[in-house]
Amino acid sequence: MNNTIVSYLSQFESYKGLLESFSSMFGEAGPGLLTFLVFLIGCILVVTVLATIGGLGTYAERKISADMQARMGPNRVGPYGLLQFLADGVKMFLKEDLIPNKADKFIFGLAPLLALVGVFGTLAVLPFSSGFTLANLNVGVFYLIGIGSLVGVAIFLGGYASNSKWSMLGGMRGASQIISYEIPVVLSLMAIVLMSGSLNFGGLVGAQGGLPQEWFIFHNPFTFIGFFVFFIGALAETNRAPFDLPEAESELVSGYHTEYSGMRFAFFALAEYIEVFVVCGVGAAAFLGGYNVPLNLGGEGILGQVLQILVFFGKTLALYYLVIMIRWTYPRLRVDQLMTLCWKYLTPMAIFNLIGCALWIYLLDGKSVWDMLAAFVGSMGTGGGH
Amino acid sequence: MEATYSLDVYTPVVILLFLGAITVVAALLLGKLVRPHNPSESKNTPYECGEQPVGSAWSFFNMRFYVIGLIFIIFDVESALMFPVAVVFKKMNEIGRGGLVLVEIMIFLSVLISGIAYCWRKGDLDWVKSYVPGKDTSNK
Amino acid sequence: MDNVIFIISALLTVTGALCVLLTKNVMHACVYLLTCLLGVAGLYVTLGADFVAATQLAVYVGGVVILMVFAVMLTGGPTSQSSNKFGIVKVPMMGNAKTYIIGIISAVIFALMAYKVLSRIIISIQAGELPAFTETVEKIGFMLVTDHVLAFEISSVLLLGALVGAAIIARPRRGV
Repeated sequence: MNNTIVSYLSQFESYKGLLESFSSMFGEAGPGLLTFLVFLIGCILVVTVLATIGGLGTYAERKISADMQARMGPNRVGPYGLLQFLADGVKMFLKEDLIPNKADKFIFGLAPLLALVGVFGTLAVLPFSSGFTLANLNVGVFYLIGIGSLVGVAIFLGGYASNSKWSMLGGMRGASQIISYEIPVVLSLMAIVLMSGSLNFGGLVGAQGGLPQEWFIFHNPFTFIGFFVFFIGALAETNRAPFDLPEAESELVSGYHTEYSGMRFAFFALAEYIEVFVVCGVGAAAFLGGYNVPLNLGGEGILGQVLQILVFFGKTLALYYLVIMIRWTYPRLRVDQLMTLCWKYLTPMAIFNLIGCALWIYLLDGKSVWDMLAAFVGSMGTGGGH
Repeated sequence: MEATYSLDVYTPVVILLFLGAITVVAALLLGKLVRPHNPSESKNTPYECGEQPVGSAWSFFNMRFYVIGLIFIIFDVESALMFPVAVVFKKMNEIGRGGLVLVEIMIFLSVLISGIAYCWRKGDLDWVKSYVPGKDTSNK
Repeated sequence: MDNVIFIISALLTVTGALCVLLTKNVMHACVYLLTCLLGVAGLYVTLGADFVAATQLAVYVGGVVILMVFAVMLTGGPTSQSSNKFGIVKVPMMGNAKTYIIGIISAVIFALMAYKVLSRIIISIQAGELPAFTETVEKIGFMLVTDHVLAFEISSVLLLGALVGAAIIARPRRGV
């Protein structure tokens, strides 16, 4: 069982050799130092890759929207405009740092930091592959929910600290929307926890298989509905359209980050795009089979790990594409519609799904629809043979 | 696998939280070297579509946000209690105690569902309150 | 690593709590409380209670802090001056030099007494003697559905009471 990337790597001979050389160099502190270094490298790698994906997310967003609206989109910087996000980053970096004179300067500076800290914290448990998971915490799902809720606090504080009416409205809406939609998301994840009997992501993914009929989304009707409840809730939690009320540009100028400029704004945007990726990753891990490679191709070795990472990123990016598509397809909801959808449709449905999954496990021994269909067809076949 | 408890698992969490904080602080400090800094009175005024801002934005807050917060905490605590039960449900089912746990889950959830049903019926989940002067909405 | 996590979380907790006491801005106090609660979650982790730590994160950091800032905004938010709603610009000191001296002396005496009582427990826990376990969640779950099932069910009634109470308090009243 691989709890962390270190415990995965420690299977290999070369790592053991490295461990010995570290022990001889640093004595007692050697193994601890090596563990720390591996974690540090792993974390920096994950953060870099995901920051790049977040940056490319802004590019993809514009390119896909341009495609859908028969425009060109960014096409000047780099091939196909791919480096546009770097140019944007440099521009943000060189921008003047404006703080409104009536703002609460302490909280104004703290809010982007909290947003980024919250999002980076969620990356620790994201299951990229069976070996390359930074930390497969026993309470992974619940930890992710908890640390991710820092973003909601950050959005509210950002809106509050600006002391601008638009920001304040955006922050209030953002915080109430995020906490409201957390309930259906948590409840539909709980149904999956119930199905797999595990609260860590390794267990969640391990309870599924590589082929679509082994995924939890197609396991039974309740999880099928649960996926959509989760996905809609996740869209709202990350403030993506059609739930982008906290930053609704047609009514609130820019919402909670109206007064933010330069790097501070960039961090809010980065946090949002990484959070979308994380949420898609959680959806892929919990409902779409996660990193399981179909037919277990590639085996246990390095090749298998690479394939697993590719499968995970493939599923996650497919969901990411869907999120962007939805943004440019659907009109924005009104606040009252938003709250009605959450409290009167999604939450009751999520509770219903939870009970349904529990009943399914109890009455049908947790067999999936396909298992029963196969058994039924098999019995038909033998019955017809007589 | 019986393993002694080790906090090594939490190392990445600590590192990532610090990375998040360091990234923000470092970028802002480094940016200070290259970015211009010439603030002016009108530049630092909160944006209000070109008008002079009237009063502070820190005004009284609508009560319904608070209600949402309260209901959220109740559901959060409920999920904190339900998660361990959800984790063991499958194992309890395997040793033949599934029915008992199922009944317990049903009782727990049905009490909560009755709470939601009450709020729904009384109109507390409505964002736009149907408030008619002179009519007591609490006895709808 | 154990010590590092403990020191970081203890520092977060203590500084957060101190700043909550020392700041006069209610909103800043909420933010400091957030760091304090984060630190407490870290302390739970060092004690091996990972599920309690996650609960601390989800319920307190994500829920209670948001509820608190909402509550602060319900009162109109902090004003730019350090005045309270009675119009007193300067917040009066709580007590004078004499009360502070008496307070410090009694705190020291109390700390000594507490140390005397707790010293055996404190010393008997050595570094590296943390509890050995695999998954706290499963243990909690088994306890909740077997031994403590009554508490589990009663807590749902408690939550129901809280839900209904919250709804009733927040209902718009006539003539107010």
